[in-house]
Amino acid sequence: MDTSKSRAAWSGKAGRLVAALAALSLALTLGLSLVASAAPVPVRFYYPVQVAGPLARVIDGMVEEFNRTHPDIQVIPVYSGNYDETMQKAQTAAMSGNPPDVAVLLAIDVFTLTDANLIVPLDELAAKEPGYLEDFHEGFLENSYLYGRLWGIPFQRSVPLFYYNRDMFRAAGLDPNRPPETWDELVEYARRLTVRDAAGRVERWGHENITEDTWMIQAFALQAGGTLMSPNGDEAYFTSPQWVEALQFMVDLANKHQVMPRHRYYGDASSDFVAGRAATMYNSSGSLSFVRSSAKFDFGVSPLPGYRTNLVPTGGGNFYIFRGIPAERQRAAWEFIKWMTTPENAARWSIASGYIPVRKSAYETAAYQQYLAQFPQAKAAREQLAWARKEMAFHNNQQVRELLLTAQAEALDEVAPPAQILARLQTQVERILRPFKGR
Amino acid sequence: MVPACVLFLAPFVWLTLTAFKSRQDVFSLTPRWLPTKWVLTNFTEAWQALPFGALYINTFLISFGLLAVQFVTVSLAAYAFARMEFPGRDFLFMVLLGQLMIAPQSTVVPNYLTVSRLGLLDTRTAIALPYVASAFGTFLLRQAFKTVPRELEEAAAVDGCTGLNFLWRMLVPLSRPSYLAFGLVSVTYHWNEFFWPLIVTDTARSRPLTVGLGVFAQTAEGGAEWTLLMAATLIAVGPIILLFLVLQRKFISSFMMSGLKG
Repeated sequence: MDTSKSRAAWSGKAGRLVAALAALSLALTLGLSLVASAAPVPVRFYYPVQVAGPLARVIDGMVEEFNRTHPDIQVIPVYSGNYDETMQKAQTAAMSGNPPDVAVLLAIDVFTLTDANLIVPLDELAAKEPGYLEDFHEGFLENSYLYGRLWGIPFQRSVPLFYYNRDMFRAAGLDPNRPPETWDELVEYARRLTVRDAAGRVERWGHENITEDTWMIQAFALQAGGTLMSPNGDEAYFTSPQWVEALQFMVDLANKHQVMPRHRYYGDASSDFVAGRAATMYNSSGSLSFVRSSAKFDFGVSPLPGYRTNLVPTGGGNFYIFRGIPAERQRAAWEFIKWMTTPENAARWSIASGYIPVRKSAYETAAYQQYLAQFPQAKAAREQLAWARKEMAFHNNQQVRELLLTAQAEALDEVAPPAQILARLQTQVERILRPFKGR
Repeated sequence: MVPACVLFLAPFVWLTLTAFKSRQDVFSLTPRWLPTKWVLTNFTEAWQALPFGALYINTFLISFGLLAVQFVTVSLAAYAFARMEFPGRDFLFMVLLGQLMIAPQSTVVPNYLTVSRLGLLDTRTAIALPYVASAFGTFLLRQAFKTVPRELEEAAAVDGCTGLNFLWRMLVPLSRPSYLAFGLVSVTYHWNEFFWPLIVTDTARSRPLTVGLGVFAQTAEGGAEWTLLMAATLIAVGPIILLFLVLQRKFISSFMMSGLKG
């Protein structure tokens, strides 16, 4: 009796509890759905912090302003290491079914991203904005196209530039307003600017080049009249005479003329340059802000000297939208990309970061004109842009790049002659590209 | 001893001095140790750029919280492998050791999936979860437990101290050096870990110092902001170095004592 009574009482209590819970959850669901209909669309934005820390705050500021002016969208920036690390994070997340909505990744990552089917083409979205794509610099857009479709929108882009110490030019009897225009002149100038001590040791390099990356060798190859790759990134031409000539020239600067150190990366070269240990250097337009704030001397910036052509490769990062996210978030991500690349914002980002404005009309904005007036060296980037073309990009680009880097280092260290090294490189690269042939 | 000391200290001294330099001082034709002008702006700028407090708490909770959990899992597993008899014990132990051969990078995607399905993305738990069981720790403690003589266990059993009781009252205290060694390895590893936390975290809510400092990473195209980077690094490592200096004596003596006991 007792037990059944208490059980009945208990079940009555439980029943009330269940009812209450049900009501509560119903209310919550209703409430939540009410909130949800009004809640802004969240957009997760992976951003690589490739430029030093404070720039993350510039991005923060821009995102905040976007969110304020677009109450229906909430962009959440996620800082995710450098380009490589951001790419790994995006790949891991996307392969596990949790992709970011939008990310800035290298322009040349388009192959890896499409091969893994991680991003969506943007043609339809771009087609709805008349005049939008046309306003981008062609050189920056070239890497965005693959299989006849558009995959990325240029954002933080750069070109290689020639930096020179005008004080040292004057001291060496060179015209500080006339940087070298040809490869021959580059060698001659570098010779005159190299300073050696009594024992013949170099005290100051006439020239430094970025030999620890594959960007500058691409410029040499393009200028020798070479081709970097087939349009679909499935064929390489490293054995062509132009590539051999390009690598030979780089090797000669270091070993025959001995006016350039064998191994330098971007940061090393710009440190040497601002410290006065090098009179000239090739470096990215992205180093402009750094050189400007660190150099204690009068310096000039110009397009690279040329050879048969004056072509150079572009570099830097594009916006991508990921696959497998709801349509409303894709639309929101596109809104965000559009806003970040308006002429005013492109100019603003360029002034803060030192990257080149990706839009032609960004140059005409009052803010950018004022910036150019204060910092005329930035003009060189625009002149160089006229010669800027697609950057080298293959399927399995990371692997190909590693191999080219090794080849370049071996050539500089005189392990074997350039022609022989490039022939081996070609064989290795062909093996990597075989599975992608004729896709 | 003195040259070794100088060798170890030089980078740290360089770091500290660079943090007080102005940018123009970093790059000069002849490298100079002392700043021409001492500046504090690097610290204010670095401090404003990052939520150091939250990052510090996260790092601390992750490394020491994980160690506490590992302490339990590793002790129980080591006890089973060292002291208990059951079929397949040695085979299971081999399987466990096999885990040491797997490169952590190869498990990133499956681990991410697990963490994501558990709804733990962007939490401190997600960072620690894959390491809750430690093959290395289990191995280390199994070896330590095995050195405790059987007679001791039998004597303890006479006094009614068996099983988990024996583990807690006898084996754990007797294996202090091994625990300390494992603790050091585990805490340093997780204090310094970068890649996995980067992958599973998105915000300062869960991010440790290593990932936060990545904001100051060296740029590929430009030069690094060395002065800022050094100031941020100093803020990040300063407290832990202070802690070590204060606790140094205790630390070393506990090492020695437990060494004598074991």
